[in-house]
Amino acid sequence: MGEIDASSDSLVAICTYTLAFIFFRVLCKFFIHGACLKGEYCEFSHDWKDPPNNVCTYYKNGLCACGSRCRYKHVKVSEQPSLPSSSAPAQHLLSASPPTTLSPGMLADDAGPLSGISYEYMASGRPFYPANQPVRSENSEHHDVAEIDNTVELKIINPADQSICSFAAAGNCPRGENCPYIHGDLCPICAKHCLHPFRPREREEHMKTCEKRQKRLDILKYSQEIECSVCLERVLSKETAAERKFGILFECDHPFCISCIRNWRSGSTSSGVDMNSTFRTCPVCRKLSYFVIPSVIWYSTKEEKQDILDSYRAKLRSINCKHFDFGNGTCPFGNSCFYKHQYHDGHLEEVVLRHLGHEDASTVIAKNIRLSDFLGNLRIR
Amino acid sequence: MVDLARVQKELHECNRDVQVSGINVTLKGDSLTHLIGTIPGPIGTPYEGGTFKIDITLTDGYPFEPPKMKFATKVWHPNISSQSGAICLDILKDQWSPALTLKTALLSIQALLSAPEPDDPQDAVVAQQYLRDHQTFVGTARYWTETFAKTSTLAADEKIQKLVEMGFPEAQVRSTLEATGWDENMALEKLLSS
Repeated sequence: MGEIDASSDSLVAICTYTLAFIFFRVLCKFFIHGACLKGEYCEFSHDWKDPPNNVCTYYKNGLCACGSRCRYKHVKVSEQPSLPSSSAPAQHLLSASPPTTLSPGMLADDAGPLSGISYEYMASGRPFYPANQPVRSENSEHHDVAEIDNTVELKIINPADQSICSFAAAGNCPRGENCPYIHGDLCPICAKHCLHPFRPREREEHMKTCEKRQKRLDILKYSQEIECSVCLERVLSKETAAERKFGILFECDHPFCISCIRNWRSGSTSSGVDMNSTFRTCPVCRKLSYFVIPSVIWYSTKEEKQDILDSYRAKLRSINCKHFDFGNGTCPFGNSCFYKHQYHDGHLEEVVLRHLGHEDASTVIAKNIRLSDFLGNLRIR
Repeated sequence: MVDLARVQKELHECNRDVQVSGINVTLKGDSLTHLIGTIPGPIGTPYEGGTFKIDITLTDGYPFEPPKMKFATKVWHPNISSQSGAICLDILKDQWSPALTLKTALLSIQALLSAPEPDDPQDAVVAQQYLRDHQTFVGTARYWTETFAKTSTLAADEKIQKLVEMGFPEAQVRSTLEATGWDENMALEKLLSS
């Protein structure tokens, strides 16, 4: 692993290497292909005598996935023309410095876990130790240098720019007190150290999402206890996933599982009974409801019920009505239909106002035509 | 299919507080679809003191269809057939709701015993009597309760004693009485015809 290990000096060199292009004449790679649009204003050389830049930037930054097959030169950092480190501005360290302790092999092997958790580390330019690897370079001479370099760097920058220790945020930081990174404040809701002490907006956002999640968990816990009034079983403990759903009636607050209430409302089991006065009513309070709202959670307040209803209707609104069939058919529910009435060309069906001739010869526009108005008078034979 | 899980739950629930409600549901045979419910006659009515048996049959649609219920004990009531035991109660017909249970249905029947509806009769004769000659109605209802709804050992022994005195063997009398639901006259007829 020694070949990639870089001293702090060469680290600075890497970071500032990009700047070097401005000062060293390097052949323009667009010019090589005859496609440089900048012409004489190009920062790079359009002189064939100048050497082309075919140094692999990936290798230079610590890893190249192509390895020996790479068509660019794998040049060791020390071989690069280096600038005096004092000239390197500190912020470049932050934006460009790669994790210096990683060997290419390590990265390739640990590609899975790395892609998930290391993002933050990479961005902040901190040395990264995969959780399953021993922190072997802790004691090595070279690492100590990097460590010192890092702490110096941390002092310079604004604490708000530094990200918090994600070990601590996940629950347990192995370094404890000695950790050079900020340990987040304890979130009162999720009980994790994940509140950034210097980023008020991030704190607020975390609290908000945390609260939301907690609320949803509470609702779910509460919903677990609810029994269907028909089958007398806990709705969320039913056998199949399809059955683990509530059927909420619009007019009242009695809990049922979706299959029970649909079964009852279909009224298929009996005949000769008036649909509206019997099957459309709540089995418990006999209040007439015109539709059932499926939901995986139960509610405890009116607002929560409204939320469930709104999201359900919004979902249906996004689905094309099969009766309307892009204008080819007619929907018996008309304006009251919950589904989308859209034509093939994408425009929505316009709501046609109904003009009613009044007795005194004036015209009235019939507003708010509700499905329930018709259903109320409907008699199933 | 009958929701057997629900029936089992209902039975469990009902038999838990049988001491309070007095309402009991037991299996008739091996099947969960044939049950016997018992309700005590409401206090302050001619049915007081009696224990009424109700034959319950659950149809395939239960609980989305009402259970079929009829009195197995003879009872003198305007809304219950004195012949067949058929019950005229809306919740057992079009007003059934799947939120009702066997227990609540039996409670409703108990309520019907204390509040007859002679305007919507099942048994016209009883209803007529209820409206025209209330005194006689109460008397008959009480007599029927005494005769058919009381299965105290004393009453049973009395009946057996009576028939044995007529010259029938006791074992036969007992089995015939049991078969006819402790109806003395029917048992006598049966004994005579056999």
